[in-house]
Amino acid sequence: MKRLHLVGLLAVAALVAACGSSGGGAPSYSGKTIKLGAILSLTGAGGVYGPSSQEGMKLAVKQINASGGVNGATIDLSVEDDQSDKNISSQKAQTFIQQNQVLALLGPTLSNSALTVHPLAETLKTPILAVSTTGIHIVPDCKFPETTACAYVFRDSLGEETAIPTNIKAYADEAHPKTGVLLVAQDDKFSKDGGTIVQANTDKNGIQLLKTIPFNKGDPDLTPYVTQAVQLRPDVIFITSLGQIPAQIMTAARKQGWQGQFLGGNGFNTAAVSKQAAANGKGARSGSAWYLGNTFPSNADFVSAYKAEYSKDPDQFAAQGYTAIKILADSARRANLTFGASAIAGDRDKLRTAMESVNLPSTPLGPFQFTSTHDVKQTVWIIQMDGVGGFTLVKEVKAS
Amino acid sequence: MDQQIVNAIFIGSIYALFAVGYTLVFGVLDILNLAHSAVFMLGAAVTYTLVVSYGQSFWVACVGGILVSALMGLVIEHVCLRPLRRRQAPPISALISTIGLALVILAAVEQGKAGSFFAWLWKDGANAVAFPPSTIPNPTWHVGDLTLEASKVAIIPIAIALMLLLGYVIRYTQVGRGLRAVAENPRAARLMGVDVDRIISLTLVISSALGGLAGILFGVALGGISPYMGRDQVEVRGLAIIVLGGMGSVAGAVVGGYLLALIELLALISLGSSARGGVAFAALFLVLILRPQGLFGTRLRERI
Repeated sequence: MKRLHLVGLLAVAALVAACGSSGGGAPSYSGKTIKLGAILSLTGAGGVYGPSSQEGMKLAVKQINASGGVNGATIDLSVEDDQSDKNISSQKAQTFIQQNQVLALLGPTLSNSALTVHPLAETLKTPILAVSTTGIHIVPDCKFPETTACAYVFRDSLGEETAIPTNIKAYADEAHPKTGVLLVAQDDKFSKDGGTIVQANTDKNGIQLLKTIPFNKGDPDLTPYVTQAVQLRPDVIFITSLGQIPAQIMTAARKQGWQGQFLGGNGFNTAAVSKQAAANGKGARSGSAWYLGNTFPSNADFVSAYKAEYSKDPDQFAAQGYTAIKILADSARRANLTFGASAIAGDRDKLRTAMESVNLPSTPLGPFQFTSTHDVKQTVWIIQMDGVGGFTLVKEVKAS
Repeated sequence: MDQQIVNAIFIGSIYALFAVGYTLVFGVLDILNLAHSAVFMLGAAVTYTLVVSYGQSFWVACVGGILVSALMGLVIEHVCLRPLRRRQAPPISALISTIGLALVILAAVEQGKAGSFFAWLWKDGANAVAFPPSTIPNPTWHVGDLTLEASKVAIIPIAIALMLLLGYVIRYTQVGRGLRAVAENPRAARLMGVDVDRIISLTLVISSALGGLAGILFGVALGGISPYMGRDQVEVRGLAIIVLGGMGSVAGAVVGGYLLALIELLALISLGSSARGGVAFAALFLVLILRPQGLFGTRLRERI
């Protein structure tokens, strides 16, 4: 009898050990599919950012599926273009959530679209991970002016409330500029939020803001605004705008003979902008969530895999898109999903809970965890345009 | 202020050139060709692609861009307008069909990315691009406080010369007489032996060539060549200009172009940038109330 007990105990021990070796007690999702839906701006004003996010995401999906998936489940990522329009964006989100029954959403690209998409995902209790929205009130108060924290909304993109002040302070400490002018696009949330953040951070860094010049992105010629700015002869021109507009402003200002420093936000952080600004953008600085030249292994591996896949360098948006898929995969792995036909609501809740405890030691963005408000806490890389379509690192500012 | 006036004259020239094409078609056909802004974009996009993807010199590319735009004029006539005219469809049908064509052109360019079906036409998707700096020599001169870029300075004589040439053609040539006859009364013109279809095709070719050229000049002077440059930046302004100048009046479109640029400038300086767009359209509203026929329009059907 004792012997039988011993055999039984040994059998149980062997079973436990076997489970352990197959993934730390993780449940098997073999043969299942994890459906994810990404709403990105592949065209329109955000069309300079969305394609990079998409490429980063697809690379991560390809890598994960090729190495056995998520506990055996295959990731099925669908991407929809919202054309940089917030109404289309929320229509796409609704289709993903209710019709396609995705487990989680990614995006949207623009903060302006997040205004409608994030509250919708929150109401329909579907986890959504923002990959490039950096405006104010994205997390946790996605339903601003309501102050309730949104439980289903997360972001892995560095907010402008962190990046812009860090960038301004770093430059002020170094060059002690006295005066500045702000050129701010007034027709989208991201740009307006950036402008508000600049206004709140000039005085405290000893910079007198001579004038704030709002403009609309649809204006055919931005030269008159630039002329207004240049005629005030500021030390710094702050630009908060989307798409190719920062590059157009830089070009116009340099042609008018202005020699000062451009400081900006996340709108600068893609190679498309640096490429268009070319020599006119040389030295233009911004705070970035990521830097191409970082040599730590998780970034170096990402950069070389991306180059092999797309024959070009990735940018910040690609790195954030790539990391987002890794975050969702890691959360899904730990979430004990059931995949039942009517279990999608339960699975979404399980995923949401698992996302809160994500702890990835190595991503292209560095070690990754969410804060208690579902935001990202990470190093800010102050980068500057190199005049030939890329960026060089100025300074690394670690999260305080 | 001085620099701002120079800025206004540059952009005014582009507005005028664009609006002349718009108004020409309206003058002859009584139809708003809303594909005109797409042709404006196509001219710039084709020129850019010829330079960047096919390695052509700017001047060759420029001729290519204008030719494609002119050809698009024929497409507008044969696809959007003539079939409807044959059926004596109301003008609103033609308006809608030109909007449809504009959307098709825009979507085709927007879908053009490396590796896509439309990559031969455009490779930059939704992105805005500018001609590489080496494409066109563009020295910048500083005269006193003024900054003058060669590419912008050149626009003024080009625009004025083309508009004068068009005026001459309309007034003194056989084609021009045919054009005016069709504008006055197509049926009577046909009875007098004027080939009305040919005149209409020609009008659309001239109008579209001018629209395409305006797009190229815009791209050269301001960069920002994108699938949306026509729709977002000149379409509604073009409409405002031809109403301001008098629907169908070429001289009115020229003056209206410069006037709108100046009104926008004054609004920017006196009321701040947020008011710029609004004030321009308030002026338009005033013109519609006080002088509905526009500055150069006549109450009679005597146009062009």
